[in-house]
Parts: sequence; C-alpha cells; structure tokens
Amino acid sequence: MRAWLLLPLAAALAGCQVTPTTLPVAQPAPSEECRWPAGPDDSLNRVVTALEEQGFLIRHTDASLGLVSAERARNTIYHDNGVERLPRLGGFVLGGSGGHVSSGMMIGFGGGDLGVDEASRIERVSVVVDEEQLQVTRNIRLIDWRGDLRESRSASDADFCRELRAAIEAVPAKEAS
Amino acid sequence: MMRPTLVILLAAWLVGCATSPSPEPRVTQLAAAPEVTLREAMALLMERGYVIRHADGELGRLEAELARMPGYGVALRVAGQQNGSRVSVIATRGGRPLPPSVVDPLLTDLQARLQP
Repeated sequence: MRAWLLLPLAAALAGCQVTPTTLPVAQPAPSEECRWPAGPDDSLNRVVTALEEQGFLIRHTDASLGLVSAERARNTIYHDNGVERLPRLGGFVLGGSGGHVSSGMMIGFGGGDLGVDEASRIERVSVVVDEEQLQVTRNIRLIDWRGDLRESRSASDADFCRELRAAIEAVPAKEAS
Repeated sequence: MMRPTLVILLAAWLVGCATSPSPEPRVTQLAAAPEVTLREAMALLMERGYVIRHADGELGRLEAELARMPGYGVALRVAGQQNGSRVSVIATRGGRPLPPSVVDPLLTDLQARLQP
C-alpha cells in the first residue's frame, strides 16, 4: 500500500517545474575583460559607431543613462548531435510456401543526413558608458530553421569584450563627437 | 479503496501545478534619486550577466534578460523625487511571472549599493 502511494508522489515531484528561490545569474559570470575604465574620449557615440562597424544593429539607446542595446544575426550551421535522428534500421522477411522455406533479408538505414541544420545565431549586447567605466554583457541564441530555440546562453566572454574594446578604441574620437 | 486515494492525489498534484504565482511586483522604497537607482540597478544586473534590452531614465523603466533556459527577465519601474525612489520589480521565467520573493536578494544588494 505504501509503495503504491510513493509512486504517484515521485511522479508528481518529477513532473512539476521547480521554481527558483532567487534570480539566477550568468554562469560563468561576465569576464573581467567586460569592464574597463573609461578614457577621456569614450562616449556613447563612439560605442554606437564601433558596434555598427562590427555588424550590430542598434536596437535602443538612452543617452542620459549611457546605454546602448544592440543585436547581430548571422546564419550558421547547427550540429544537433543526432539526438533526434537515430538511424532507422528495418526489415527482415522470412516466408515459405509449398514445402519450401526461403528467407530474404533487407537492411535499410534511414535518416541519411548528418544531423547538420542551418540556424540563426542571434547575439544581443548591452554596453553602458559613464564617466568612470564601460561595462558590457552579451548573450547568444541559436534558432533552427523550424524556429525552435536550440541554445540560449550568456556569452560575456573575454575574447568578445577584448575585440569590442579594441573596436571602440579604434574609432577616432573626432568622428564620433 | 485504492482508486479514490489515487484520484485525490492526482487532483492535489494538478491543483498544485496550476496555481501560478501572482504577477504582483515587489515594491520597495530606496533613499536615492530615481535616476541613480536606475543606474545602479543596471550596473548590478549587468554584473550578474543580464543584457539590458531597454532602459529609460525619464520614464524610469528598465528591462533586462538572462539567456538561461527557459529565459529569465527582470522589469523595473522607478518613480519618485530627488531624495527617494519607489522601485517595483517583476521577474519572469519563460515569460511567466515568478513569485515576488525571488527578487528580494537583488533589492537587498541594490539597497546596499545605494548606501552613502
């Protein structure tokens, strides 16, 4: 009797979604490189110019807060590891008539493609500039050709931030102002 | 004998799952001007890896997202005078509101940052 009661209870616990008790944070946390002291020529204008040069589309800016939010989409190849594409194996025939028994065998493999799909890779970036520092965060989403979200992660990594910092510093101060 | 017990259990389970947390925001008073509060909230969220999608100093609004499955969002509204602001925060997970208590640690940190 007791074992019977435990079974649906376990199923219920597995089925219900767990509500987090605190707001989650990015893991790994944004890299140290994604925050650097502002130079005398750094301005929102300069950051916007640099982002546009990097192929970003500016989605939103707020000059009083020194914020720019931008987006960049690219086509990419998505490797889905064949999770949903197990090769289908099929066919075995054994038959007989008039005293004769004959057998035939056929093996077929289905799902011939390699588990590679075209997908859109969407990067979202926000940069905040004030008198003291510049701060950057980024995330990446991968959406397959069916429109399903395949991957979603924070990507405030050192490589990206270093590249963006170089791009911002490469913008001539005169041009931006 | 067995069946009613199971039915009750199943019903209780379904009721438990269907109760979504109320979409009420967590409201708090902070001793700083609205724009300062918004600026600090923005810096705090970015330190945690959130991408700011929208913020407006004049309207006192801020929206940020974290790209961790199934997708988290934070929306802030700030109103007030020179020396005090009223902040209300709603957090969502996969587009659904989370219980207001979830944002308490964030507000505590924000308050600590605004201390002179």
